[in-house]
Parts: sequence; structure tokens; C-alpha cells
Amino acid sequence: MNLLSLVVFLPLFGALTLAVLPRDEVGQHRVLALSVSLATFVLSLFLWTGFDAGSGAAEFQFEQRSAWLPSLGIGYHVGLDGVALLLVLLTTVLTPVVILSAYRAVAERVKEFLIAILVLETAMIGTFAALDLVLFYVFWEAMLVPMYLLIGIWGSQNRLYATIKFFVYTFAASVLMLLAILYVYFHDGNTFDYLEARRALEVTPQAARWLFLAFALAFAVKVPMFPLHTWLPDAHTEAPTAASVILAGVLLKMGTFGFFRYALPLFPEAALSYRGAIAALAVVGILYGAMMSFVQTDMKRLVAYSSVSHLGFVMLGLMALSAEALTGSVYQMLNHGISTGALFLLVGLLYERRHTRQIADYGGLGKVTPALAAVFVVVTLSSIGLPGTNGFVGEFLILSGTWLSRLGAPAVMAALGALGVILGAVYMLLLVERVFFGPLRKEENRTLGDLSVREGFVLGPMVALILLMGLLPQPFLRPVKPAVDRLVQRFQAAEVRLGGETRVGTVPPAIARPALQARARPERP
Amino acid sequence: MTGFPTTSFAALLPVAILTLGAVVLLLSEAFLVSGKRAYQSGLTVAFAAAAAVAALALHRPGPVFDGQGTLDGFSAFVTAIVCAGLALSALVGASWLEARGSERGEFYALATFGAAGMVLLGMATDLLVAFVSIEVMSISTYALAAWLRRGLRPSEAAFKYLVLGAVSSALFVYGSALLYGACGSTAFAKLPEGQGSPLYLVGMGLALAGVAFKVAAVPFHAWTPDVYEGAPTPVTAFMAAGVKTASFALLVRLLLAAETGTAVKVAGFGALVSALALLTMIAGNLLALPQRSVKRMLAYSSIAHAGYLLIGVVSAAVAGARAQALAGLLFYLAVYSATVIGAFAVVGVLERRAEGEREPADPWDLSRFSGLARRHPALAFAMAVFLLSLAGIPPTAGFFAKLYVFRAAIGAGFEMLAIVGVLTSALGAYYYLRVVLYMYMRPPEAEAEVLSAPSLAVALLAAVLVVVVLGVAAEPLVRLAAAAGTLG
Repeated sequence: MNLLSLVVFLPLFGALTLAVLPRDEVGQHRVLALSVSLATFVLSLFLWTGFDAGSGAAEFQFEQRSAWLPSLGIGYHVGLDGVALLLVLLTTVLTPVVILSAYRAVAERVKEFLIAILVLETAMIGTFAALDLVLFYVFWEAMLVPMYLLIGIWGSQNRLYATIKFFVYTFAASVLMLLAILYVYFHDGNTFDYLEARRALEVTPQAARWLFLAFALAFAVKVPMFPLHTWLPDAHTEAPTAASVILAGVLLKMGTFGFFRYALPLFPEAALSYRGAIAALAVVGILYGAMMSFVQTDMKRLVAYSSVSHLGFVMLGLMALSAEALTGSVYQMLNHGISTGALFLLVGLLYERRHTRQIADYGGLGKVTPALAAVFVVVTLSSIGLPGTNGFVGEFLILSGTWLSRLGAPAVMAALGALGVILGAVYMLLLVERVFFGPLRKEENRTLGDLSVREGFVLGPMVALILLMGLLPQPFLRPVKPAVDRLVQRFQAAEVRLGGETRVGTVPPAIARPALQARARPERP
Repeated sequence: MTGFPTTSFAALLPVAILTLGAVVLLLSEAFLVSGKRAYQSGLTVAFAAAAAVAALALHRPGPVFDGQGTLDGFSAFVTAIVCAGLALSALVGASWLEARGSERGEFYALATFGAAGMVLLGMATDLLVAFVSIEVMSISTYALAAWLRRGLRPSEAAFKYLVLGAVSSALFVYGSALLYGACGSTAFAKLPEGQGSPLYLVGMGLALAGVAFKVAAVPFHAWTPDVYEGAPTPVTAFMAAGVKTASFALLVRLLLAAETGTAVKVAGFGALVSALALLTMIAGNLLALPQRSVKRMLAYSSIAHAGYLLIGVVSAAVAGARAQALAGLLFYLAVYSATVIGAFAVVGVLERRAEGEREPADPWDLSRFSGLARRHPALAFAMAVFLLSLAGIPPTAGFFAKLYVFRAAIGAGFEMLAIVGVLTSALGAYYYLRVVLYMYMRPPEAEAEVLSAPSLAVALLAAVLVVVVLGVAAEPLVRLAAAAGTLG
């Protein structure tokens, strides 16, 4: 059996097994779900080690192609490029972590909870692995149902409103993508296969623009881009910790991944005509998210708005369309998954102890729970992009890549983005200060327990990844390179078709420009 | 015509089996002494299965009785859907009726007579045969709608259904008369000869309006919510599945016969039907939004689904997309029938029963579904599957049905219809998921009585299997539908 398909469907198999276990054997359920997710993680490591990132290697590896609905032109086709590989790894890392994190937090309907998480894992990995447009859409939409249940059943007070909003918002945004997929079918030689569609798609420029917008709308809501982000603060805040972590860690990446995999390479010409507007929205999102984070009194809402800001960076990097910025975007997807996932875990731990998310209810916790505070500080530093952590690598690549890109007004965009970095540092450090430092004002906070061993196992992997990816980015950047190079090449080819000036790639830095010019014009009388 | 029309009679075998079944059921009731009626639903299932097998086995395409009807893949598929719908509704009906002390052989006999009419309607290619089939089908369902004679709601439903149904029949028959005047024949094949004459226009318009009543297309839908709500729940399920399927078969044949003379692009009545489709999708979904009675919500949702099916009908009028559209339509009808019967079955299971003469105010209120996932997880799961399928969320059969129909629409160049279709189905997600929300996310209310019976469990299991299996492995049915997607 194909290793990738095994990784995709192992969690689903685990969920089906769980479904037949007796209802009251909660311990069994937890151990089974944890083992299945760990097994999935181990198998996905083989994907990583088996992935060939060399220049001559195939674009998509671990490919499997078989008939699914041949009469309708739908196939089961999966495969991974470097970006999808890393996102699959992110998913398989986060799933056991959230299952472990929910050992205490979820005490009711544990079986259903674990089934929902495992089904969700299959849908998420499937979304990254799919290479057939309908298969992709099926996984994409299948994700909504378990997430709907996770928020609606195990969420906090306002969960029903939040979960309906989440579902209808994202569902309504993606139905037009389905139509775009159907339209593509009739213009690429009647197949839903992604590779075939990318190769043979022939549509008028006007149709391409509509198709791009249909895909972009679905992805932009998921990212979420300003001004389509309004579902996110509610969903993140009301969701149980485990769902918040997955939502922030993986689901949001599906939007940016969708741009990288579908919207940009399928319709490069159309993408070029809209990139300026999208980049501008991304910058607005960076600043808006940061400013909204400033004024939040609820920790979870603060982290949720910070996601809007961070995903703005990723979108900015994608729209810059230079190799550095694209690489940074991909890296930032992983970073955000880890650091924001960890932040949600930490907020969840605080909530389990104190049953409040109000920042004002805390203060001076550093003395009571030193280990928790230390982890929180590390994660915060990663989130604000301190050198030595993973966040720095991603943000630096994005901002420098944007500055040197051929986007309109790149310097302004990059400068405003950098302003967002500063604002991010301010609101995150303020949060740390108000929660962990200063005097212990509340009597209830004196007796809070520090991290337990289980919680150490939950947070340990996250901290390790933050440091590892900050100090040794190379193993993570290597598989990204071929995918990024191919995307840039596609855009360069589109440019040639369009004619006119160069619009993608990197401008040589100003400091190197005189030397280059001198080299270009060596002889002058 | 020479000799005895053996093949024509053979083509009627499914109808004959169903009629025989109805007669047997009637007689069995007349000679029943023990008062035990559990076998009657089983008998209905057996006759339905026999009729379906007969329809699929005797696949000899060709005209029946000199073109009054036709036997083709399309009619065979319609027969299979109707028979499956009959069998499932009978299984659902058994325990539902028994709980109310009104299980009688006549119930099954009427349903089986109705099914015979539906099967005939699927084969009809002549205005008169179509009219007779409509009447056979409708009169049985009028009687079924009035099955529980007590109470205001059932009588209101039955009366409304009878009166409006009679109006629609009158429209149809008057249209037929005018068409006969225009074309000099009642055969569908001769209809294009009348094109251009004003009689033809008026006649066709009236006949289509009559059929639009039956499929519950807006603005001919006003009877649907009241009738669906007031009729006994198993009957509602049967109407939503069977009557809808048979009426759509007639609509397709009539419209395609009328459009044969025109060019590739749809003109005239095609445009009219696409306007109906737009109205039906928008109004059906909007009206379903505020409903608190789940049964009424499903009634409006059946209007909305008629809108999606109308997209398939319009696309079938475009020559290049015809085979795909017809196959999509059949696939959609099959999936919708299984799903809607399942959904109505769960509604019936939870329905608050009348106490003596007093009718409960809200027998199908959303609150009946509160916390169902805790009290009856299997039942809640089944309902969730049906609702997700109705909403068209993958990986359920409903998703592929919508995909199939919308694909045909895009292939036929009806992007606008498809866009409205997907946007309104996003609207649909809201009211379907509200029921899921009540079942899974609300605390259970006071212990409510729930029907349970083996036959009911079988019906629900079958429906869930159809929806789930076709959601992950639709290929076999897609193939069958594609093979049946040609009109004889």
C-alpha cells in the first residue's frame, strides 16, 4: 500500500475502530486515539526522510493514482510536494499533542471527541495530499463537519453562535470554488486531475479572472484575510483548546496552501492582475490584526486576532512572488502553526486552572508557576520573531523578500509589514507582562499548580520545534525550494506570454546594483 | 399493428406486478381474522422488489402500444426508484401506523396502486396516458394523505391536496386538449408539429403548469408545506420520493419532446423552466430558513430540491449536454429519494402523538430533536447523515448528486443557474445544520417517547447505507444512471 495513502487514512481507521468500542471505556479510547495519532506521526516521518528534494526529483512524490469515479472524470490521486509534506508533518505533530492536551479538559463525550479529532486529521492530511480537484474539494469540505461538532459540543458559552457562523461562512465561500472546479473540467480536456488541469487548462483571460476569484474567495475566508476574518475571533474563542489549536495550527494554513497550490499556479495571469490588491489587503490585515490584539481583554481573542496579523505576513509573502518571500511564507505557515498552536495550548492550561480567560484576572503568575511562565515566554518570543526562534526566519525572509520583490511599492509594503512586527512584539510582551509579572493581585492565583508531566509532554515538542526550526532551518527549507522554484518559473512563463515588463522574481539589492551595472557595461570609452 | 402486442404487454409487467400486489393486499385485509398485520409491509416490499427486478431484467427498449408509452433505460431507472421508495416507505409506515392503531391493508394497497401509477407515468409518452397515470398516482396519494381521518391537520392537508391537485389535473388536461387541437395528436412525438401555433403555446404552457404543480415548483408550490406537514409522515416520505420522481420523469419527456424542433440552445419553454428553477431554488431555501417544525422545513427543502432538479431538466434540453444531464437527474432523484425517506422516517419516529382527540401543538418542533445524540446516538447519527446529504456536504451521496447536476449545467452553459444553485445550497446548510445543532449540542429535554421496530431499523439502515456508500463509492450507480440517461 502506498505510504501516503496509509498516512491519510490511518486516523480514519482509528476513528472507525473507536466507534465500535464500548461507550464507557474512556481510558481505552484515549490510549487508542493517542496511539493511532502517534503511529500516523511516525509514518509521516518516513515521508519526510523518503522525500527527495534534489533538483532532478519528481515534483510530486509518493504519488498514487487510481480510479475513483471514472465516469465523472474524478480520480483518487494523491502526492506530496515539499510544501504539502511539511504541512502534513505539522498536522501529524499537532494531532497527538492536542489529544494529549485534552486528557483532562475534555471529560464529557470523550469517545465522540476523539472520533471527531481523528476524522478531522484524515480530512486535513487528505486536503494537503490530494492531487485531484474534486478529491481536494471533498477533503476540504469534509473538514467542516468534525470542526463544527468540536466547536459546538465542547466549546464555551457562546459556542452555538460561533460554530454556525464558522460553518456557514466557510461553506458559503467554498461552494463557488466547486463551480470553478467544474468549469475547469470543461476546459482542460474533461478531467479533474490537478496536474492535467495545470498543464492543459485553456480559458479566456476574463474567465481565468473569475475562476481565480472563485478559488481566492474560498481560500481567503479560510486564511482569513481582512475583511473576511470575522468568523475567526468567534470560532477561536469559543472552541475548546484542542479545536483552537487545530484551527489555528492547520486549518488556517489550508487557505494559504490553497493559494500556493491552486489559485496561483492554475491562473498565473489572473493572479498577477490581482496581486497588488491582495497584498494591500494582507498589509491591512497585518496592522488591523495587531491593533485589534492590542485592545483585547480576553487572552484567547488576543491570540485569535494575532493570527489574522500573522497570516497577513504569509499572504504578503505569497503575493510578493519572489523566491525568498515565498519560502518565508511557507516557513511562516509552519511557524504560526507551532507558535500559535502552543499559545492556545498555554491559554488552555491557564483556563483549566483558573476557569477564566480574562487577562485582568491574572498577574504575577511567574512566581507561582515558573515552568509555565518560562514556556510562555519562549513561545511568545517565537511568535514575535526573535532571532534564534523559528519566527525570525520566516518573518525575515518574508520582509526582505517583499522589499526586493517586483510587487508595486514593495518598500512601503515591507515597511508597513515591519511595523506589524513591532506592534506584535508590543501586544505579546504586554500580555506576558500582565499575566506573569508584576504583583500577585488575586488570592485565587496563589494556589495554581505548575506544569504536570503530561503537560510537559504536550508543550515539550512545541518548544523543541521552536528552537530547532529557529537554529537549524535548513532541513525544513530544503524540501520547500523545488516547489517554490517551480511556482516562480510558472509565473515567469506567464510573464513571457503576457509580454511587458518583468513582474515576478527578485530585484537585485540596491547595494549590489552599481556593481551589477558596471559588470553589464564593462567597456566605456 | 399486426398480431398480439406481446412485447407491449411484457413492458407493463412491473405495473401488473404492483397492481396485483395491491389487490392481494386488499384481499388479505378483507379475509384477515387474527388482526396481525405485520406481514403486510413485508408483502409490499416483496411486490415492490419483484416489480423493480422485472423492470431491470426486461430491458427491451422500444415503444409500447404504438408510442403511447416507451420502455427505455430512463423508465426502468424511474421504476426502480419508485419501487425502492415504496418499499422503504412501507417499512417506515408499518411501525408508525401500528403505534397509532391505524395499520390496515388498504394503506399498503393504496401506496402500491399509487406506485403503479408512478411507474406508468415514467413510461408515458402520450398526453392521455400521462393524464391517466397522474390520476392513478394522485388519487391514491389523496386518500393516503387523509389516512388519519381524525384531527384538523390531516383533513386540511387532504382537502388542500385534493382541490389543488384537481386544479393541476384540470390545467394539464385542458392543455392536452389545446395541444391536440394544435398538433392533431396526443403523442409527445407529434408535439413539434404544432409549434408556432398559438394553441400550441397556450396548451404547452397549461400542461407544463399542471406538471409544475406536481413537482412543487415555485410559484405552483403553495400546497406543499401544508400537505407535507399534515399528511401522515410515511405518506409524506412516499410523496416526496415517488410523486416527485414520477412527475420529473413526465416533465423531462414533455419538455424534451417540445424542444426537439429547436436549435441547440434552449428557447421558449426551456427559458420558462429555467426561470422556474431560479424561483424555486431561491424561494424554497428562503422559506425553509425560519421553520421551527422540522417536518415543514423538510417540505420547503423538497421545494428547494425541486429547483436543483429543474436545473437538470433545463440542461437536458441542450442537445450536447443531454445524456449527462439526464444521468445526473436520475442519480439525483435516486439519492434524494433515499435521503428524504430516511429523514422523514426519523421525523416520524420522534413525532409527538395525539392524546385522544387533542392534537399536540408542535409535534415536529426542533425541540423534539434536542439532545437526541445522547439519548439515541444511532438515530441522531442517521439523521445527521441525511441532513448533511440534503445540504450537499461531502462525503455524502447528496454532494455527488449536486456535483453531477451542476456539472451538467456548466456543460450546458447555464453558469448563472449553477451559481444560484450553489449559493442557495449554502443557505440550505444553515437550516439543515440547525437540526444537527439541536441533536448534538443541546441538552436533552424530558424523555420523549421514540418509536422503535425492526422494520424501521432496516429502513433507516438501508437509507444510511445508500447515502454513505454512494458518498464514497458512487461509481456503480453513476454507471447505471449514465446507461439510463438516454430517452427511447
